[in-house]
This record gives sequence, C-alpha cells and structure tokens, in this order.
Amino acid sequence: MITLEKNIKSVKDVLTSQDIIVFEFDSLGGKKFAAIYADGLADKQLLGELVVKPLRDVEKDASAQEVKRFLASPEVKDCVKIPDAIKEISDGNVVLFIDGEKDFFVIGLKNPPGRSVAEPPTQVTIKGPREGFIEDIKINLGLVRKRLKSDKLKVVMLKAGEKSETAVAMIYLDGVCPEGLPERIEKEIAAREIDIVPDSSYISQFISGKPRSLFKRNGTSEKPDIFCAKICEGRVGLIVDGSPIAITVPYMITEDIQTGEDYYSNSYRATVIRLLRVTALFIGLFLPAFYVSAQLFKNQLIPFQLLLKISSSISGLPLSPSVEMFLTLFVLEVLNEASIRMPKYVGLALSVVGALVLGDTAVKAGIISTPAIIIIAFSAICLYTTPDLVETTTTLRWIFLIIAGSLGPFGIVLFAAFLICYLVTEQSYGVPLLAPFAPLIKSDLYDSMVKANLFSLEHRPDVLKVKDKVRLKNK
Amino acid sequence: MIKFKKRYYVIFYWAVIIALLGLYFTNDFGLVDLHKTSVIVAVGIDAEDEDVIVTAQVAVPQPSQSGENIQYTQVQGRGLTVADCLNEINSKTGFYPKLLFCKLILLGEDCQKEELFRILGCFYRRNYSELTALVATCKGTAREMLSMPATISPENTTAMQRALSDELKKSANVSSVNLKDIALTNFSVSSACYMPYIEANVQGTSEGGGNGDNVGGDSAQQGQQGGQGGQGGGSQGGQGGGGEQGQSGQSGQSGQSGGGEQKMEFTARKTAAFSGGRFVGILDEQQSFALNLINNDIRLAVVPCDSDGTHYTIGLKSTKGGVKLKVNNGVPELNVSFKANAQIQGAKKVLDPDGVKNDDVVKPEILKATADEIRDRMQSLIDLCAKENCDLLGVRELLHKYNYKYYDAFKDDVLTRMKINYDIKIQSVN
Amino acid sequence: MRMRISVRQICFIMLIYTAVSKFIIYPTFLSFQSGRDLLFSAAFDFALQAVVVWAVSYLCSRTDRTFFQLVSGTLGNITARIVYALFALFFMLCTVLPLFEQNAYVHSIFYDTVPSILVFLPIFFFTVYAAGKSFRNIGRSADICMPIFIVSIIFIFAMCFSEVKWDSFLPVLRTPFKDVIGGSVASLFRFMEPCWLLMFMGHFTYKKGDAAKITLSYIGGAVIVLLVLAAFYGVYGDISTSRQFAISKISLFFPAIDVIGRIDLIALYALEVVMLFALVLNVQLAVHCINECTGYDNKAVISLAVNAVLALILILFNNQLDAIHTLWSRWMWIAFVIFATVIPLLAWALKRREKDD
Repeated sequence: MITLEKNIKSVKDVLTSQDIIVFEFDSLGGKKFAAIYADGLADKQLLGELVVKPLRDVEKDASAQEVKRFLASPEVKDCVKIPDAIKEISDGNVVLFIDGEKDFFVIGLKNPPGRSVAEPPTQVTIKGPREGFIEDIKINLGLVRKRLKSDKLKVVMLKAGEKSETAVAMIYLDGVCPEGLPERIEKEIAAREIDIVPDSSYISQFISGKPRSLFKRNGTSEKPDIFCAKICEGRVGLIVDGSPIAITVPYMITEDIQTGEDYYSNSYRATVIRLLRVTALFIGLFLPAFYVSAQLFKNQLIPFQLLLKISSSISGLPLSPSVEMFLTLFVLEVLNEASIRMPKYVGLALSVVGALVLGDTAVKAGIISTPAIIIIAFSAICLYTTPDLVETTTTLRWIFLIIAGSLGPFGIVLFAAFLICYLVTEQSYGVPLLAPFAPLIKSDLYDSMVKANLFSLEHRPDVLKVKDKVRLKNK
Repeated sequence: MIKFKKRYYVIFYWAVIIALLGLYFTNDFGLVDLHKTSVIVAVGIDAEDEDVIVTAQVAVPQPSQSGENIQYTQVQGRGLTVADCLNEINSKTGFYPKLLFCKLILLGEDCQKEELFRILGCFYRRNYSELTALVATCKGTAREMLSMPATISPENTTAMQRALSDELKKSANVSSVNLKDIALTNFSVSSACYMPYIEANVQGTSEGGGNGDNVGGDSAQQGQQGGQGGQGGGSQGGQGGGGEQGQSGQSGQSGQSGGGEQKMEFTARKTAAFSGGRFVGILDEQQSFALNLINNDIRLAVVPCDSDGTHYTIGLKSTKGGVKLKVNNGVPELNVSFKANAQIQGAKKVLDPDGVKNDDVVKPEILKATADEIRDRMQSLIDLCAKENCDLLGVRELLHKYNYKYYDAFKDDVLTRMKINYDIKIQSVN
Repeated sequence: MRMRISVRQICFIMLIYTAVSKFIIYPTFLSFQSGRDLLFSAAFDFALQAVVVWAVSYLCSRTDRTFFQLVSGTLGNITARIVYALFALFFMLCTVLPLFEQNAYVHSIFYDTVPSILVFLPIFFFTVYAAGKSFRNIGRSADICMPIFIVSIIFIFAMCFSEVKWDSFLPVLRTPFKDVIGGSVASLFRFMEPCWLLMFMGHFTYKKGDAAKITLSYIGGAVIVLLVLAAFYGVYGDISTSRQFAISKISLFFPAIDVIGRIDLIALYALEVVMLFALVLNVQLAVHCINECTGYDNKAVISLAVNAVLALILILFNNQLDAIHTLWSRWMWIAFVIFATVIPLLAWALKRREKDD
C-alpha cells in the first residue's frame, strides 16, 4: 500500500527547498490528497478552483481514474514516476498525489510571473500590429497560433540546457519548409550541452554554424506578425522560453534592411525608405573612416569650401585627426553603453552631461572639433536605421576607422573588397547571406532593396528552395 | 592540427590589429595631413631676368569654433623653374604646398616675353596638380595683382575668379580657359592659344559698362583706366606682396591689408593671344567678344549698335556661332556663321510707353546694324589673326580635320589666303 | 566534385573584368602609340580576342569536360599537369603588370602625396584570402561587382560627356598604319580573357545560346573600353599621352566639381573594388592551376606561395612600372598570344582528337 506520506517524502527528499509547497487536503468523503507545487510558479487560485473544490465530492474508496473525472483542469497528465513529478514541479506545474494510489496526476497550472503582451521596444511600428513576444513561450506560441491557424503549422518542442531544461519551440509550415531543414536544426540544438540557456541568443549561436563570425547567421524578431510572415516564406522559427526574441533561419542580410512596416505601407514609400536605410547604413559605416582619411591622406575628398571650414575648426587642436576621431567615437560608445545600463532618471542627467556639457566644453576647450562631433553623431544616427545590424555595423565602423587612419582610403576600399569576398560565399543553412544579390536571383529582387507591390510577390523567395512556391493566387 | 591552425590565426589577427593600431596612432608614412598642408588657392608667376618668381596665395586657417576663419597670405619663391620656387616655398614655410586646390594661375606681364610652356610646363608635369586651374595673364606683375584688395570679395583671388567665371564666359565677356584648354590648342596643329587679360581698376572709375554697352565701351578710355588701376595696385602691392623674394607669409598678408584703402575692381574683357607658345598681342574687347561668340557656347550676349542716330543695346539669345573651312576650286574659304535672336535691352532715348509695347519686335534696320557690328568685330579679329599668323580660330585644325588632303598645301599660309564668308543672321525674338 | 560557376557569372566576368583591367594605363599608352586612331588599334585587338572567346565558348558546348580533363584525356595526365603548370606561370605573369599599375594608380587616386609602398602592400592580405577561394566565390563576386561597375561607369560617363570633343579623332586613319598595328601588337599583353574561359570550361552547365551570350558580353566589355578610350581622347586630345590613369582623369572637368568637390572619386573608389576583383581573378586562376597540377588541395598555402612571389616582385621592382611596361609591350606579348590565342584555339584540336580516339 503506497501511502500519501511516502510519495510526499520521495519528492521532498529531492526538492528540499522551502518554496516547494505541500498542500494536503481531504474530500468530504474522507479521501486524502496532496498537491505539491513550486511557490510562485503555479497558479494557486486555479488550484483551488479547478482541483481542490471539485475534489471535495470524491468518495473515500474512489480510484485514481474516478478522481481524475472530478478534476476541472483541461490539462491533466497521468504519471507514475517520481522523477517525472519532480521535473514537472520544477517546471511550475502541480503534482497531485492520492492516498493509497500509485498513480498521480500532473496538472498544468503553470503560471510563472511575467509581463503581459506589449509593443516591443526595439521594433516599434506606426502602422501595423503592435503586439510583441514576451518571455513566456506559451503566450508566444499563442500569438503565433493566433495568426497561423493552418493545420500545416508544426510545432516541435525541444529542450536545451542541462540544468535549465529550457523549452524551445521549433515552428515551421509543413509542405512549405525545405525538406530536412527542421531536422538539421534539431540536430544542431541537440548536439550542444550547456548548463543553462537563458536567452534565444544562445540557441542562435548553437545553430549559426560559425559562431565566431562577425556576421550573424539567423534572423531575429520580437514581433509575431513578422515571425509568422517569415515562417510562411518557408523559414523555420524558434521560440525560446524566457526570451522575447524569436529566431528564424535561414537568414539573408537583406532581411535586416526590411521592416514589418514596409509591408503595411505603400510600396513606393517602402522602396524609398529601404534605399534610405541602405544609404544611411553605408554612410554610418564609412563616414568617420573617410573623414579621417580625407584629412590625413586625400584632402580632395572634401569640397574646397568645406575643407576651409574644417581647417579652421581643427586648426590649433592638440590631437591628430585620427586620434581626435578615435576619442570622439570612444566617448560616443561609452555614452551609449552607459545610457543603456543606467537607471532612467540618471540616464537623462547623463545625456545632458554627456551630450551637452562634455561635447560643448570639449569643443570650447579646443580638444576636439565640431565637425568630428557632427560626423560621429550622424554616423551613430545612420547606423540605427537598421537596428538589427547594429552589433555588426558598430564593430565594423571601428575597424574601418582604424584602417582609414592607418592605411588611408585605399585601406577602406581594400577592406570593403575583403568583406565582399568573405560574404559572398557565407551561408545560412544553404542560403547565401548576400542573396538575392550574390548569387543574383532576379525574382527575389522584387523584395530586396526595392519593395514591389503585394501582387508582384506571387512567389515565395526562390533562394529558400521551398517546396510550395506559390504565395499568392489571384482568382 | 585544427587547434594549431586556430592558434596561429589568433596570433596573426592580433599582430594585424596591433600593427594597425600602431600605424593609426602614429600614422606617418611620410604623409602630409591637413595640419601640415598649405592650401594654395592661386599662384602668380612673374619672370625676372632668367628667374621665375612664384607668388602663392595660401589659405591659412585660423582657430574657430564656428564656421570658417581663413586668412590669406602670400609666400614667394624664386628659382629657375616654377618647381624650384614651390620647393623654396616649402622650405620657407614648412608647409607642403598642394596645388590641388589651386584654381587660378596668373601670369605677370613679364612672362609674355618668355616661352609660355617654360612657365606652365610644371603644371603639366606634376602628377599632383590637375589641369582644371584657370589661367590668365595680367597687366603689371602677378605678385602685385595678387596683393590688391578687391571690392567684391575679401580675397582678391575670389574676385579675379569671378571676373573669369563661367557665367561671364557664357555672356561672351571673358575668354576663360584652363590649363587643359591652353595645352590642347597650343599643341594642336593651329599652335595658338589665348587667355584672359586681367586688369585692375580703382573702384568707381571703371566705365566699361557705364554707357549701356557692356562690351563695347571706348577701349582707349578703358585701357587708360586699367592702366591707372594697375599703377595704383602696383603701389599698394609694393608695400607687402610686392616685396623682395623670400618675404614671409606674414608680410605678404600685411601687404594685402595695407592696400585696403583703395579697393580694386578686376575685369578681364581683353584677351592675350599666343602663337607657337609666344605672346603675340592683346585682343581688345571687341575682338575678344568676337572670339568668344565663335569659340564658346554663349547664352546671352549684349552688343551695342547705332541705328537712325540712336544708340541701342541689343541682347542676343539662343546664339549659335562657329567657323567652318571648305576648299572650293583650290581656294580655302572660311565660313563664319552666327545666329541669334535679338531683343532691345536699352536705348539712348526717352522711354515712350507706347513704343515699349513694340520693343519685342526689333526693327530690321536695328537687326542689320547689330549684324554689321558683329561682322566688324569678327573681321577685326580675323585680320589680327592673319596679320600676326596667330590661328586663334583653329583654322589649321579645321583644315587638318576636315580637309586633310589640302593640309600640306595650305597649312603655312591659310590664314592669309583664305576667303571669308559671313553668315550672320540676327532675328527678332518675336 | 567540380567547382561550379554559372553562365551569367561568366558573362559578368567577361563584361566587367575585361573592361576595368584596361582603364588605367592602356588608354594613355594607346594614344601614345596610335594617336587619334587609338580606337582602331583597340578594336583590332578586341575583334581578334572576341573570335577566340567565341571559339572557346563554342567548344564548351561540345564537351562538358574541364580543360585539364580534355588535355589529360588526349595527351595524358603528365602533359596536362605540365600545361597547367605553364598556365599557372602565365596567370602570374598576367598579374604582374596590373599589380604595378594598381600600385601607381592607388597612389594617384587615394593619396595627395607620394606615400610609401607600405600603403599598397596590404593588398596581399586580400589577394591571399581571395585567391584561396573557389570558383563559386569568383562568380558571386562578379554578381556583386556588376551593379557597382554599371553605376560607377555611368556616373563617370555622365560627368565627362559634356567635355568630350568628338571631332578629336579626325582625320580618321591618318596615323601611319604601322603605328596603329604597332599599338595593337604592343597592347596584346593586356588580353588574357580567353584563358579565363578556358579555365571555366567544364565548370558550368552549357545551354543553347550560351556561347553567343558569353561572346556578346565580351563585346559589351570591349565597347565600354572603346567608349572610355573615346572619352579620354575626346577630353585630352593630343595631350592625352601625358595623362596617366585615364579613368580618373576624364571626369575632372565636370562643372559641379568646383562646387561640391571631387564626387567622381566616389565612383572611382567603387570602381577600384571591381578592379581589385579583376586583379585577383588571375591570381585565383594561378592557384587553381597549381592546385590541379600538383593535386595539393590546400589552396590557402598555394595562394600564400603565389602571392609571396608577386609581393617579392613588387617590392624588388618598385617604381619600375615604365621598365616593366616596356618589357611587356616589347616581348611579353608573345607569351600572351601563345596562351590567350593559340592554345585556346588548339583546344579545338584536342576536342577533335578526343572524338577520333
């Protein structure tokens, strides 16, 4: 005869923490139950409503299956092994032991603390859906299901992290997604053994293939509408529990030049904005470098009248143009880093101190020149027009700057050629990073730098080699 | 093996990064950055005995937090060649003189005695100067001219460049040329070139455009005024920029400010002609005007004419001028064509409101007078070319390109043998 | 597994790399040699090469074997290895003069004063890296270079158009015929395009009409070169013999440059990226030949060795551009005729013999 106490003891022997609550209660008929759960993770109110209250009417001699019929919770799972019970409790569910029964039930009452669905701060839209992913995988899956009701939508639940056992949902459209791609991703994730997966960026590195590369190999999104659109194009999506950032593979660099809003606005406007983003990206990347090399090596890069103005500004400065620009960029990066990390109220003060006081006094003191500040500030603004590429582009800006100051404009051109040579053969799960430009795929150009109207995008991107190519049919 | 390779890659990357950082913070490949550069905006060249004197007008930036604060100073160098002079300027100032931004090369009067390409040759040989700089010659010495204060701009080089501007060229008032144009025409079979002749006039005394004739004023009178201006400028420039060779930039600068009492107006309506690299003479305003009508793309030209005892100023629009050479029956014929639409811009008579209504329709006799005036000017130019054997219109070039079989026969005396046909059509705008 | 490249990419290579490799000293040299009839000299060379390009591309339609397989199939493996070793040397030879030209050109357009050779040497970081890459990399680089080239060249042409005097070429064909042909012969060392195609043979899937596409692309590249030559001579006329680095000089007289500065440099720098890829193509093919010839698979090591030799030549003969140019135009053109004209045509004989066997 298995007693309730024995089961409770088995669990408490492993989960010794005091936040593991054992709630023992009886039915009116005298049947004894024990609900064990992690305090703060399980929903106590629902436990009372859906479990404790219905079980009041259970007779003393009722079997486990008869007890199950009384449970009002929609998510009840039979269980026999104590290790499984421990896992479920750690996960936030409630385990219900019945006196005299070997079987017990896992009741899905997980309700970990978290924020509600809100607009993601990194992908704000003026026109279009404002919902964003949050840290809860179930809610995130719900947000996806809400948009993709197809029976072809496949969700494969994976686990990552030895200790954390983080849930990872792999989502794709069966019949559209390229053959073998989900399996490859699953294999990549399974091949990594790590203690904890606190965020999707870990998974992102697991599946990137080249984790040391400066360029990422997978797309990210905080918005379910964009995520679903990418899945519909034939990509595989990954949602990681505890992370509001979902991953999509394969990835192309052009994805980061596009935004969700491009698809909700007029195609002409979207094209103009995309071209603007690309221009801004190049300006942000090259402007500080060319400014330094123009001063040091090739004055003709600057129009004559502007050169005279710059000459006036830098005249008498104690620093060389390269050191001046290095210092200015360094200050910008420090300010940027500090303003992100600091509490908001301090951050406001910091922006005043940093931007106004520091900048203004540095110019007045003749340490740095006004053009240098303008160049760096404009460069920073330009790079933030493509926020998803900011990690890469800010690093590249440093590299270009150092090369420009040491080798001159030829160094910049040489490194640009080197980058092209490197990027043209880099791939993300068989898809070239620079597609549809290298290799040139004409049909995919309609949604790259330019954005064709909706009716021109009849086919899914060729480069993804999807099974079902038709995206839009005009009946 | 892979680990071994990775280790070497890491060492290699770090070595590259350290090397680049080292170069970045020392950055010295013997390069000359903006701090060490003197930006030469104009160059004046004078010939004296066997020597050449180069006066460089240098922009010296002054510390400024807001906007431009540039002072212009003059530095001189003397040597057997222009390159020698530039080298001397370098040694005097410690600045590396860059000619990339030099937009004006001014040749003093004495340079007219020299072979043109002995003076200008340096600018074609140096890899680091472009052929876009405007070239002009001037009355007096170039160093004096560069030190004269100007009325329309704080820097006289800007004022001179305005006198040579593209807009003026398009109105047939100046025959601006750059280094490339001079070389192209001089080294062609015509072997002739021209450049504007800059004169300085004391402010308020220039009457070139005062009589409603923008181009055709009394040349004698104007020349006199130009001469005065030149003298005045010479005396002012003598205080500073006209000093001895080897003067510092500071003294050149003081020369410029010292001349601030009498500001000068620069005009370049006359043209200096060269043949075979040698100075031939100065074309007066009328001849220069004719040369510009033929050689340049003119948008709006203004020409004076007299008809029925009244003086008119006629504006010429939609102009199209040019010369063609044909050989008929063994005689070279130069066809000078000019077409334009005319409009009365001014008349030396009382304005009659009723008459103004019909001013758009220019009377035939006025059109004829205009055409006659233009033909006279062109004839004067062609006569001069024939007299001096100076092929400014590129007749030999036309002979070589379009009548090659006659080239050997006529190349020596085509300017004197050719028959001139005029096809001048002036129509009323309406 | 054979390295793959697509026909489109080969067409791009034939169009843009043919063009950019002739933008630096070629126009100046040709105007010096052939005067105002320089277009005829150039057209003669291009016509000859276009025939060879067509012949090789048509040969590609008849066999799906690589040139190495073709030679080894008919003349034996040892011969094929020797031929590829010679081709490796030839491609290195093809790189030497462009490398020196690039050195001078880079100093001219990227620096206001004369810098040390040290600023140019980092090019070998790029060539070592790129030369170790596959044909796929060559093809995709061409895909990227194509739009860069088109935009840059249109930009440059637009800026120089108003300054070009189209009657500069008159009177036509008055330069002594000997000089015109002399210009053609002395420039033959700039033509190695049929060899590129020979190396790509068997690495792409031939479809009907591809030979015409490739040849037309080559002719397209030739037309662009002729336009640059025309623009250069049209702008500078008789003084073009003293103006080096033609492509960087033709747009200097654009009126807006006075106001907004040297905007033509943007196009020139973009074009320099394409020039770098054109330059590295010969090194890539030299590495490919050594790889095939020796069977040694580590391309990175081969690339390092090839580039070390090139770097050594550059350092040893720095500032000897004129001497090398003279050497190439007087003697080396013979090697180019053999490798870029005779051998590609002989490949037909190999094909026939293979068929007979």
